[in-house]
Amino acid sequence: MSAFFKALAQIIMGIVAEISDQNAYKRHLAAHGAVHSPDEWRRFQDEHAAANSRRARCC
Amino acid sequence: MGAVASNRGEPVNSTWLVIASVCTYLVGYRFYARFVAARVMALDDKRATPAERLRDGHDFEPTNKWIVFGHHFAAIAGPGPLVGPTLAAQFGYLPGFLWIVIGATLGGAVQDFVILFGSIRRDGKSLGQIAREEVGKVGGFTALITVLLIMIILLAVIGLVVVNALKGSPWGTFTIAATMPIAVFMGLYLRFWRPGKVVETSIIGFVLLMASVYGGQAVAQSPSLAPWFTYSGAALASALIVYGFFSSALPVWLLLAPRGYLSTFVKLGVVMLLAVGIIFLRPELKLPPFTRFVDGTGPIFAGKIFPFCFITIACGAVSGFHSLISSGTTPKLLARERHAVAVGYGSMLLESFVAVMALIAAASLQPGVFFAVNSPAGIVGATPAAAVATISGWGFPVTAADMQSLARDAGEQTLFYRTGGAPSLALGMAQIFVSSGVGRALLAFWYHFAIMFEALFILTTLDSGTRVGRFMLQDMLGEVWPKWGQTNWKPGMLTTSAVIVAAWGYFLYQGVIDPLGGINTLWPLFGIANQLLAAVALCVGTTILVKAHGARYMWVTSIPLVWLVVVCFVAGWEKIFSPLPALGFLAQADQLAAGPQTAATSALIFNARLDAAVTGIFLVLVATILVDSIRVWIGVLGGTRTSKTTETPFVPSRLAEEL
Repeated sequence: MSAFFKALAQIIMGIVAEISDQNAYKRHLAAHGAVHSPDEWRRFQDEHAAANSRRARCC
Repeated sequence: MGAVASNRGEPVNSTWLVIASVCTYLVGYRFYARFVAARVMALDDKRATPAERLRDGHDFEPTNKWIVFGHHFAAIAGPGPLVGPTLAAQFGYLPGFLWIVIGATLGGAVQDFVILFGSIRRDGKSLGQIAREEVGKVGGFTALITVLLIMIILLAVIGLVVVNALKGSPWGTFTIAATMPIAVFMGLYLRFWRPGKVVETSIIGFVLLMASVYGGQAVAQSPSLAPWFTYSGAALASALIVYGFFSSALPVWLLLAPRGYLSTFVKLGVVMLLAVGIIFLRPELKLPPFTRFVDGTGPIFAGKIFPFCFITIACGAVSGFHSLISSGTTPKLLARERHAVAVGYGSMLLESFVAVMALIAAASLQPGVFFAVNSPAGIVGATPAAAVATISGWGFPVTAADMQSLARDAGEQTLFYRTGGAPSLALGMAQIFVSSGVGRALLAFWYHFAIMFEALFILTTLDSGTRVGRFMLQDMLGEVWPKWGQTNWKPGMLTTSAVIVAAWGYFLYQGVIDPLGGINTLWPLFGIANQLLAAVALCVGTTILVKAHGARYMWVTSIPLVWLVVVCFVAGWEKIFSPLPALGFLAQADQLAAGPQTAATSALIFNARLDAAVTGIFLVLVATILVDSIRVWIGVLGGTRTSKTTETPFVPSRLAEEL
């Protein structure tokens, strides 16, 4: 049972991290070989938000 | 058991709908989706997906199945599955319920799944690209134009839902107005003070949001502040149009991104809260299974149960718009082909369940209250006394005192003529929440919380949709003059933003000045457009299946396709040519033309003719792609045309087991 709740918690945290772009940011850092900094975050925000804003959301 | 109870005139509990829908979803998922995955698509986990082959750390990235599921669900589930079922409840709860459950299991989920599959096998290409490559250039161009037109109608109609929910409501208007400085604050906080701390920022934003819902009551009760937040529909529509323009032109990080985070978290939280509320509190269904309005004389929108029930509920049953998401971000994230079953098929079932919950929330209202809230003054009468007399005369008793008491409890001045679905849904949700024992004193808070929740993500759809529409227009213009295609070219950006906002703003304003409330006109137009896009997606899906298997499995997509084509063309034809002025655009224009002429009448006549033309354009566009597709199918099945597809060749997957 505890394994189930652990897995559930991992999935929920994963979804939160995905929705809040934490995972995308980690991928951005890995892809650019960079470490977190305010400037790096802003660079990520600009790139990611520009791409995201082109994607349709349904009704 | 529900049928037995209904036949005996006993009240039916919403638990029956929950059980029936969940059982249908489980059977559909376990058997039908697996059959389609194994036999029709031959999904193969040994085959590398685009996320693996084209991995770039940005768009293409193999991701955990359930995380992609969450992402995909957040993208497909907007206000549609909440508003559509609420409006369709005018036929009673049963027709909408059956369409939501059966339509999603055999149509909507299949469409999402097949397009996701088609995109995975084609490097994550978009619906338009797949249509161009599999059907032909005409099909691709038609799909593009159809999407742009649908976007315009969609933005207008959801804007109208917000306007109707906030009209004359200082509490609601204050709360929604407060979301804008809150979003800007979040944007600045995330950009400059705590870069990268999205969860922390979203929690702060949520606390501020709740404070604004709470503070709205004080604003509404203040004689000096309330007038600052009390507006007519036309004023709110103008504000929304200005907001749409700025949200499209402002940097994404300042408004759109923080608002998107907040909206997604609130949306998921409220949907879960509503599910828990319905499952544990088991509200009784007060609306009958069928109402007298199946004959087409309904006050919320005109038209008989066939085809209009199936047009009114698009998202939640079958939504063409989903095909854009199934061929957008999602296929670029799937680590394994078989994950498409849960993500493509499963998330549509979850959206369908959200629609069932919205239907339950609406159907748990007293029928008289439901119709008093949702009926326009042009139908039921311009005074509360006239409205309750009309509605009670239909067999749904309600009194002006009941409505006054309910409005007071909800913190509103009146709840009459609040068309659009959002207020009645908010009332239904609020009544479910207060029935948990927290006390009726909290009805006003929960009502405005629900209004805030609906308006928040409607505005998120509105601002992101405006931006997407702007990019689509820039892409199209860029084909003619490349400079227009540069998204950072300021004149192009501002001009295309203005064009898109003006286009949906025009239809929004048209809805606001419509004496029948606007929803009667715009929601069916949106439903027809959305279902026609589903027909386009199913044409593409059928073409893929015909090229892969010949005629053997084409029924999987062609049965829902035939149904949608029939529904949409009958509905479109009736909306244009019906001799009833409440239903047919041209008849409405003729009726107005026969009466005394004023500037307002001329505008209404023009609008009715414009709506007829737009509906006609939709039908022609879809007929074009349908004929083009049938030409391809006949060619492939008759052996006169190559069945070669643009599917990418098999590449073995090297992904580790942990995904």
